[in-house]
Amino acid sequence: MKLEYLLFWIAVGLYGVSACSYIFGLISKKEKLFTFGLYSALAGFVPHLSSIGRRWMETGVEPFITISESITFGIFMSVLIFLIVQSASSKVRPMGVLVMPVAFVLMGWAGTLVKDAATQLVPALQSWWIWVHIIGAATGFGSVLAAAGLGLMYLLKDKSPGGAYEKLPDVQSIDNLSYRFVAGGFIMYGLMIVSGAFWANDVKGTYWNWDPVEVWSLISWLTYGIYLHLRITFGWRGRRLAWYSLIALAAMIISYWGVPFAAETFHSGFRIEH
Amino acid sequence: MDKNESPGRTADPRSGTLQKVKNFLSSSKLAMTLLVVILACCVTGVTVFRDKRAWELIFSTFWFNGILILLVVNVSFCFFGRIWGRKLTMISLGMILFHLSFVAILGGIVYNSFFYFRGLMRLTEGETLPNRELQSYDSSDRGRLFNISTLKGETTLIKMHANYKVDGDNKRAAYEVEVGEGGLKKHGIVYLTESLEHRGFRYFNDREGYSLLVILYDSEGNELYGAHVPLQSLRQKDNTYIYSTGTKDGPGSFPFPQEPAKPLIALQASYVPSPLKERAGDVFFSIWPLDVSGPRQAVKATAEGKAAIGEKVRVGDYYLSAQEVRYWVGMSMRYEPGKPIVLASLWVGFVGIVITFIGRLRRRGM
Repeated sequence: MKLEYLLFWIAVGLYGVSACSYIFGLISKKEKLFTFGLYSALAGFVPHLSSIGRRWMETGVEPFITISESITFGIFMSVLIFLIVQSASSKVRPMGVLVMPVAFVLMGWAGTLVKDAATQLVPALQSWWIWVHIIGAATGFGSVLAAAGLGLMYLLKDKSPGGAYEKLPDVQSIDNLSYRFVAGGFIMYGLMIVSGAFWANDVKGTYWNWDPVEVWSLISWLTYGIYLHLRITFGWRGRRLAWYSLIALAAMIISYWGVPFAAETFHSGFRIEH
Repeated sequence: MDKNESPGRTADPRSGTLQKVKNFLSSSKLAMTLLVVILACCVTGVTVFRDKRAWELIFSTFWFNGILILLVVNVSFCFFGRIWGRKLTMISLGMILFHLSFVAILGGIVYNSFFYFRGLMRLTEGETLPNRELQSYDSSDRGRLFNISTLKGETTLIKMHANYKVDGDNKRAAYEVEVGEGGLKKHGIVYLTESLEHRGFRYFNDREGYSLLVILYDSEGNELYGAHVPLQSLRQKDNTYIYSTGTKDGPGSFPFPQEPAKPLIALQASYVPSPLKERAGDVFFSIWPLDVSGPRQAVKATAEGKAAIGEKVRVGDYYLSAQEVRYWVGMSMRYEPGKPIVLASLWVGFVGIVITFIGRLRRRGM
């Protein structure tokens, strides 16, 4: 087995350990399992980073072209954001109850789709917009995943404030933090859409074609736009928005990685080989 | 009228209606409803209906575009009505930019819709076509106020460069073109991420294919007719391509010689490029009598022959040869004066969101 694949599957395995720890921690309400889950995630992040780096070094081609690379990079950014939040505050450990199982499942799925790295970028991808576009998409996903993780924390704390959740920040703070991540995700998705429009304009001379992937991106952006509108204009807070962030996350996953399998899109010739 | 009642306070039904319209247009509930409706339309357009069907039933329709316009109008009334006269803060500045960009995008799209021109021009290497003649385009579309005299000069395809490289990157296909009129011609290269701009018109890479110079000879070997014959690139199930006369749906024959000359046969030519040499390879010719009704492929060809590029082969009562291979290219030619407004507005809107976010981060409690 190539070193790149070995590192990838070690990362998947450690994310799996982390996901299990968080889930059992949730069931048994033992904080130590959350801590173990965090360290497993950190241990998995190192081979994850190494496998991406190894793949990149092998051909010199940016490793976010195929769908498995796209998922892998999206999860990479998500785990990175998760680890940064965890290093900033030890009070938000249960956030991993959502983040790590999602990371594990999507990484495992990416593993089933993995192909050898491309030796050269197709002409349409030979543009620096690819960097802006991919970073916007991956960081946006990481942000809204973190927001959904915080939304879940809110619901857990709200339901049973004592026990393992006693040390969690108060629900108001969790709500505010979740909101900040949604706002951050909204910005990054905006960056993704704007850069995609400029990129498409460079390649085809049209900035918007209503192709399914574009429309799904718009759906994602509108979904979080409505979240912000509900909060700012209509004063929604707490449980309702926590549920909203969880449901919206499902739309995000379908939007970015589910749609290319279901539709022959401009992106399929433009970006993803599948 | 009550003598104590001021004339200025008279309930004017028109002002009442106007107020109702204003209230309706500046309602944040309307904004939310429109956002949800647009979201629902988008979801329907990628699930229930897809691709072309979604375009026909939703995204290109008058009512959907009407909803988008209503949203922009609503945003203008709703947001700017509230923010007017308030103190300018970092947050409000960001919000103004964000909402202003919506209005500017709509303005750019509307402006563009009146003045745009889009054409698909197909040229064989060495060919020049006048820009003003609409027959020069395979298809064209223009806004109501587009002035056709804006189309000036001519376009020449000098050469199609296969496997064109820029800084080591293979661009696969690059079109060397010359556009313009008289002494103001502009020479440039067009490839997938590089367009050519001349007097507001942009030339984009679209598609390319082979074109054969086919010569027909009589049974004595005397030349009767010759023409460049563009071939279709037809993708097969195993992802290989065949290059043949016909339509995009499949190989086919066509009357040869072509009108206005008198046709003698129905000809199909298929080209197999050489893997070793550019513009070399073999050509397979099949001919049918002109009077065969229905699809000729259902009827066995009356004669067939194969020849390398530059060589002659006897096919039935005639000789045929493909003297040379050239490329044809399809270039998308666009004049869209509203587009810079739209593209610039996208960044203005994005900057607006970022400013608002930073402003809220700085404000306690967000």
